Amino acid sequence: MGLLSDPSLSTHNKLVDNLAKHVRKVCYAFYTAGVVWFLCLALPEFNHGTYLSENALSPGLVYPEIRIDANRLAVQLLEELQRERKDHQSTTPHAWILAKFNEFGLETHTHNYSLRYPFGGGKEFHGKNIYGILRAPRIGSTEGIVFSAPYRAPSSVHVEISPSVPLLLAFADFARRKNYWAKDLIFLVTEQEQLGMQAWLEAYHDGDKTPDSSNSYLLSGNLPARAGSLQAALNIEVQDLEIDYVDVKIEGLNGKLPNLDMFNLVQRIMAREGVTSGYKQTPRKKRRSSLSNFEQNLRQMLAMLATQSSGVPNGNHGLFHRYRIDALTISAAKRVTNSNVKSNPTSSAVPLLKAIEGIARSLNNLLERFHQSFFFYVIVHNDRYISIGDYMPALVALVACSFIKAYLTWSTLDASAIVLSQETIALKPDTKSLKLSLPYGSVLIYLAVVLLIGYLANVLPLQHYILELPLNAAPLTATILIALSLIGFVLPFVVILPDGGLELLHISLLLIYGCTLIVIGLLNFSLGFFVGVLTVPMVVALNTSTRNSTLRSLARVWTLLLNPLVVIYIIVLVMSFHQFPELTMQQLLLRAATAAMDAAAFALVDSVIYGNWLYFAICTIFLPIWIICWTLALARRRGNEIHQPKLKTN
Amino acid sequence: MFNKGILLLLALIYSCAAHDTSMLPEAYVDAAQRSTHTNNWAVLVDASRFWFNYRHVANVLSIYRSVKRLGIPDSQIILMIADDMACNARNPRPGQVYNNANQHINVYGDDVEVDYRGYEVTVENFVRLLTGRTQNGTARSKKLLSDAGSNVLIYLTGHGGDGFLKFQDSEEITSQELADGIQQMWEKKRYNELFFMVDTCQAASLYEKFTSPNVLAVASSLVGEDSLSHHVDASIGVYMIDRYTYYALEFLEKVQPFSKRTIGEFLQVCPKRVCISTVGVRKDLYRRDPHKVPITDFFGAIRPTHVSTDRINVTLANEEDFVNAVANVRPKKQFKIVMEPQFTAAFLK
Repeated sequence: MGLLSDPSLSTHNKLVDNLAKHVRKVCYAFYTAGVVWFLCLALPEFNHGTYLSENALSPGLVYPEIRIDANRLAVQLLEELQRERKDHQSTTPHAWILAKFNEFGLETHTHNYSLRYPFGGGKEFHGKNIYGILRAPRIGSTEGIVFSAPYRAPSSVHVEISPSVPLLLAFADFARRKNYWAKDLIFLVTEQEQLGMQAWLEAYHDGDKTPDSSNSYLLSGNLPARAGSLQAALNIEVQDLEIDYVDVKIEGLNGKLPNLDMFNLVQRIMAREGVTSGYKQTPRKKRRSSLSNFEQNLRQMLAMLATQSSGVPNGNHGLFHRYRIDALTISAAKRVTNSNVKSNPTSSAVPLLKAIEGIARSLNNLLERFHQSFFFYVIVHNDRYISIGDYMPALVALVACSFIKAYLTWSTLDASAIVLSQETIALKPDTKSLKLSLPYGSVLIYLAVVLLIGYLANVLPLQHYILELPLNAAPLTATILIALSLIGFVLPFVVILPDGGLELLHISLLLIYGCTLIVIGLLNFSLGFFVGVLTVPMVVALNTSTRNSTLRSLARVWTLLLNPLVVIYIIVLVMSFHQFPELTMQQLLLRAATAAMDAAAFALVDSVIYGNWLYFAICTIFLPIWIICWTLALARRRGNEIHQPKLKTN
Repeated sequence: MFNKGILLLLALIYSCAAHDTSMLPEAYVDAAQRSTHTNNWAVLVDASRFWFNYRHVANVLSIYRSVKRLGIPDSQIILMIADDMACNARNPRPGQVYNNANQHINVYGDDVEVDYRGYEVTVENFVRLLTGRTQNGTARSKKLLSDAGSNVLIYLTGHGGDGFLKFQDSEEITSQELADGIQQMWEKKRYNELFFMVDTCQAASLYEKFTSPNVLAVASSLVGEDSLSHHVDASIGVYMIDRYTYYALEFLEKVQPFSKRTIGEFLQVCPKRVCISTVGVRKDLYRRDPHKVPITDFFGAIRPTHVSTDRINVTLANEEDFVNAVANVRPKKQFKIVMEPQFTAAFLK
């Protein structure tokens, strides 16, 4: 009995031959099944209601003890802060925040960090975070919970969220009077959006290591005091003390999510305090809609996947996830004046304060990190979710297409060769040696070159000699990416593989594509699924031996459209069209071009500073795969005229 | 002199009993129902840890408080508590444990003697305790020094399943191990009667395997049922006590040391209406009628004594009688001990 992996063994039998005749139909059936399965997940029969798995949380068992005086304090602090903000148009009033932390008796420290911006000849930025630690009164400082509030200067382009800091301070003042904390509470005010948070987290976890200053762009320094291993974090972004609703943001870096228990906990406690809260919550007017349940669910799912797929966190909470700290942001929106609702400024923030207290007490009850519930899920509705076991089949069905096609192509390779040889020469060929005689070497070299192009796109923009060019980040990155894509575009015209090389390349493409897609799908389902939905039909449609020239040119156009850079450009174009519908076509195209260049540069910066792997995935995985696809779509052969008509697979 | 007095007293008690039995068959049955125990022991176990299991500690401490109030001394109570709730950092009332939302009674008062605590509460230690196979050097307070005349109360609480009770979130005792332990206790004459009381989910599964005589068992729920907690104290933020124990305590609180309440009444303290789970009782191993057994036979330390208002003569007997009694002792029968040879020489020859 031969080995299963013996290439000289003929794998084709009747079943395989029959299947091979209908390989496209089979693949498209799988593709449709995957997409339909995904759509079905929006139906209530396919998703589940949320529930709390972690007993220790015991949410809502305590009466909130925070009273109206905390609200009064918050209002007073907000007034003081507003006065301070007049003198600090583009900076943070560090002195005031420090003084308040000290006044409330917290162990207060500042954290300095600096960023060496790699582009445009190199610049250095400095930042400062302030944090206060409330030590657990009756237990060692081995565990901590973080409550953070980002501070935005008045000059910031983002929405103003200055009431977050007074709210945090008011809660800190309440918390320090209590004796039941079993974990240290860290109250943290960060500046410069995610950069400050990233620096603080790096300093907290790796501050003791001697930094390799030559290589790193973010010099996070060290922290003077810590509070043990961080168990959970709550980021607070409040637009006003009078709130309309709370939007719970969960998507983190590289599409990581906090444990579902934490989301459920926040939902449960918000509901008890009567705060309107939800995932991707929108104002009341928008909420009233005549959409069917299915459609609403589907929109919610797609919105979540869209946010997740970029891998960029949508709040400061997202950076905690890389240190295995469950975190989310509660983002409270300002109440738009409504004659029906009488607002009472003296007690307006009390429900939110109570909710924060409730969350804090539940987190305080944790005995170990969140581990009971799901880390991989899609939220369908505020109280419904899809677990990884339910959504993975959709992606697996998509990926299955490429593996099935790879297997069937491999199995029928010799069959096609027999047909070929019988027609040309009347001799029985040695079928067993056919697979051995394929040009493995040249295909391997070709693959290596293609991967090298992708790798260059990843490392070139950060080389010293390129960084010294007097160019901004956006044009620099874009130029390099376009140049490398062009090389990939030209490559199949220049390099023509020997006989059988294309078939072999096709099989290796299918295998590489399938493997990368499933790996990406496991790490970040949204990205994997979207890429799969977009590209699987194209990969299935590719056929190196089609004779029909219209089909071939169609495939070429299709492949060109799915070039990663083109896809990014189209996405940006659609987004800018939605955002600026008043622009003319020409203006729109131009604006989208600059925005796409910016996007490329931001992705690069994200990967360098935060560790977002989207840029890496696009350069090192999607670009090479595209080049291979392009090669196959062109299907240029040596001696094209003689062999091609006779090489027919099905 | 002192011995003589005790003897007389015992004789007096005996004559009373004998007097009763000579009357009517019912009276005879009555007398048979009377316990013959001479001392009481209690083994109270909380097998679960963690702050959110506060109620289990409250359960066991409340039972401890009751049995102590009814007269079992600390030296005869083995209290096992798997976690320290009083000093848990999350406890807003440091050093105190309550069993009621009104926080009337601090069951972790000044005089609680915990014998096995924290990680000492293991299945091994529990089985060693029951069977008397404690390791050398174990403190006297950590031993169950019961004898053939002891009535033993075993109370268990924690998280259980079908056929097991979880200890410490890391190990379980199975119902078979428990039954074997009690069988060993019987064989080693470590109890006279045993009252087994358990408040966990699927509690009835724990007494299913018992075969030893004189065991009366009660469980808070049948197999397949959950036992539920009673109420929450919103200022502490935990469930305070379990339903079955709550209603059991409500009953016990009204019991005084000389109460006429019976164990039969006690078995009915928690009807399904209030308990939500069905209380399971196992009586087939128990020879007495629970409705005739005073509850203090297990929850108190009351010996069967006769209280008399009559004048009793406890003076010493005459000295001559005493001397005569010694002189008239019959000589012991002489007998000869013959040692059989260990190795019979006959075989070797």
